[in-house]
Amino acid sequence: MVSALHRLVYYSRNRIQGTPVEITVAVDAILASAQRNNSLNHVTGALIFNAGVFAQVLEGAGHDIELTFEKIQRDPRHGDLQVLAFEEVQNRGFPSWSMAFVGRSREGQNLFAHLGEATTFEAKRMEGERIFEIISAIAVEEEVHAAW
Amino acid sequence: MLTASSNAGAMRQHLARTDDGTVALCALDKLSQAVAVIDPNGQVLFQNAAFGKLFGDEAWATELPDLIGPAADRTDRIGLREITRRGRTFRIETSALPQGLLVTAEDVSERVAEQARAAALARTDPLTLLGNRLMFRERLTELLANLAEPTKAAAVLAVGLDRFKIINESLGTSVGDALLRVVADRLRSAIRPGDVAACFGNDQFAVVQLGQPQPESAAALASRLVDMLGRSYIVEGHLINIGASVGIALMPSDGSDCDQILKNAELALNRAKQEGRCTYHFFETAMDEQMQARHSLELDFRRALALREFALVYQAQLSLGSKQITGFEALLRWHNPKRGLVSPADFIPLAEEIGLIAPIGEWVIRTACREAADWPQKLSVAVNVSAVQFHSPSLVSTIISALAESGLDPRRLELEITESVLLGEHRTALDMLHKIREMGVRVSMDDFGTGYSSLSYLRSFPFDKIKIDQSFIRGLPDDSSNAAIVRAIAALGQSLGMTTVAEGVETETQLAHVAAAGCTHVQGYLIGRPLPPEQLDEFLRSQLESPRWQTLNLVDGPRKTAGA
Repeated sequence: MVSALHRLVYYSRNRIQGTPVEITVAVDAILASAQRNNSLNHVTGALIFNAGVFAQVLEGAGHDIELTFEKIQRDPRHGDLQVLAFEEVQNRGFPSWSMAFVGRSREGQNLFAHLGEATTFEAKRMEGERIFEIISAIAVEEEVHAAW
Repeated sequence: MLTASSNAGAMRQHLARTDDGTVALCALDKLSQAVAVIDPNGQVLFQNAAFGKLFGDEAWATELPDLIGPAADRTDRIGLREITRRGRTFRIETSALPQGLLVTAEDVSERVAEQARAAALARTDPLTLLGNRLMFRERLTELLANLAEPTKAAAVLAVGLDRFKIINESLGTSVGDALLRVVADRLRSAIRPGDVAACFGNDQFAVVQLGQPQPESAAALASRLVDMLGRSYIVEGHLINIGASVGIALMPSDGSDCDQILKNAELALNRAKQEGRCTYHFFETAMDEQMQARHSLELDFRRALALREFALVYQAQLSLGSKQITGFEALLRWHNPKRGLVSPADFIPLAEEIGLIAPIGEWVIRTACREAADWPQKLSVAVNVSAVQFHSPSLVSTIISALAESGLDPRRLELEITESVLLGEHRTALDMLHKIREMGVRVSMDDFGTGYSSLSYLRSFPFDKIKIDQSFIRGLPDDSSNAAIVRAIAALGQSLGMTTVAEGVETETQLAHVAAAGCTHVQGYLIGRPLPPEQLDEFLRSQLESPRWQTLNLVDGPRKTAGA
């Protein structure tokens, strides 16, 4: 059923050029517009940005996910998007729109803490944590690659 | 200013004086067409009811002179025109009367709107709502006419989707159609205002890009399209991955007319697809020459069957167990009087592309069966069957009738297929293979080791034989990894109960190695070159008279001696 609750997990690579500060500003804008758009069509999830990689969980009705995903795919600010999961689920792992910002090193941790204050980060359910861990693992892995 | 009321009463009275006049007046008044008589000063002398209905509204008073035409030449004017005022279109006909002007008017707004709708419809692709080929050609022609100034430049981008056909076939046309709509939306979002996008039907799209600087702008757009259209899609609950390739022709350098530019952009697209897809390519003059050469090859090829330019040659297969010739593989040769011997590598892909592989393939099956039936010994004959031939269910009936007509024992016929037959939606191909095998015909997996070499393909059908691609034999004995591959395939064949044929065996050392590796059969120049049918008798006789393989001292005999 296309209208049933679905979960989509993906990661993609940042294509925003600029200084770390400029990138931070641009990512903040992406997060803000994602929150705005997704609250309208009852899509919730988590978005992580870390050293060149966006990782996101989207949850909502299949049709709404399709529309949101299509909007995301048309955004030239990222590319090489890989879908990790697209499946029907019983419950939302991220019942309200949340985000996290994983940085590289201590500086990154500060950024993460700052954004954590600004939003509620609800990754409490087991499933949500598992997905979050996948996203975190990828982000960390990418960070290691970037560091090399 | 025209006033419809001033002299109309006088005219009416004048006409009413006679009975004829009364009749004429009544007739005019009842006409469904709007009619009015105007005096040389522009005053309305008479208007019928229909005219009043059209222009009776006060708001029309100021518009009427303009509708009817310039005052200066009203007296002798005879004219017909369509004019749009206040959102309505009128067809106005004027003709001179001895004193004044007869005006007939018709509101044609509906017809004009209908024509506009029809014109738009005829220029729209119904599925994606992008413009279609007609619209694209019109815009391109218009643009070319204005490109005379050398400072102006533009580019045509031909866009093709990779793997769309597979999606359409496996997920159904409803998903395929929905996908094309999303593709069209992405295409719209990737171009700039002023650029023209069109869908030529199915998965063919095109864009005219206006402006400078070229070729940089076209390269940037092409790269954006390859990226954007190649990103994954979610459509009707399906996650779909397709790719996009783009070919670019620049204007005016790559063509001076619409046809030429479109053709060149499509040639460049073909090149992009050949270069591994998901890329873009600019048109080059050499492509046109290659296309001409290919076209000429195609013309010759289409005639070849009728002109009997095809022939079969046969290459022997030797059993390492019995050290006897067990059969021959039929190989297709094309002798063209102009071209000489044309390589199958050149014409088989062409035949598949232009849809001639089915008749050629049928000819091969029938000829091989007929010729093999005449052989002095009951040896097997192997025939190559292309994946494309499995697209048509007539393959099975062709085999049945070829066997019946030739009287060849089905067990002597062997089909060699590559794993591409089993790629994608292979249910029908598998059903056909089972039917063929039930008749007693044997089936071999050809060119194994190249391509996917998936074990699942070997397991999906009970093949009788695995043919190890000659590229693995060529490097023997020095190439240790090739040697390992040959050993692995031979062991695989043994465990699955399939015979294994090493192809391309050219030296005795190679023969010894493939025998040691466990292959059960060999084929190659060492055993025999491909021979025309009339030389097979002699070849077989020489094998009987001086059995060179019986004395061959193999380093390590084959582990399995399954006869063919």
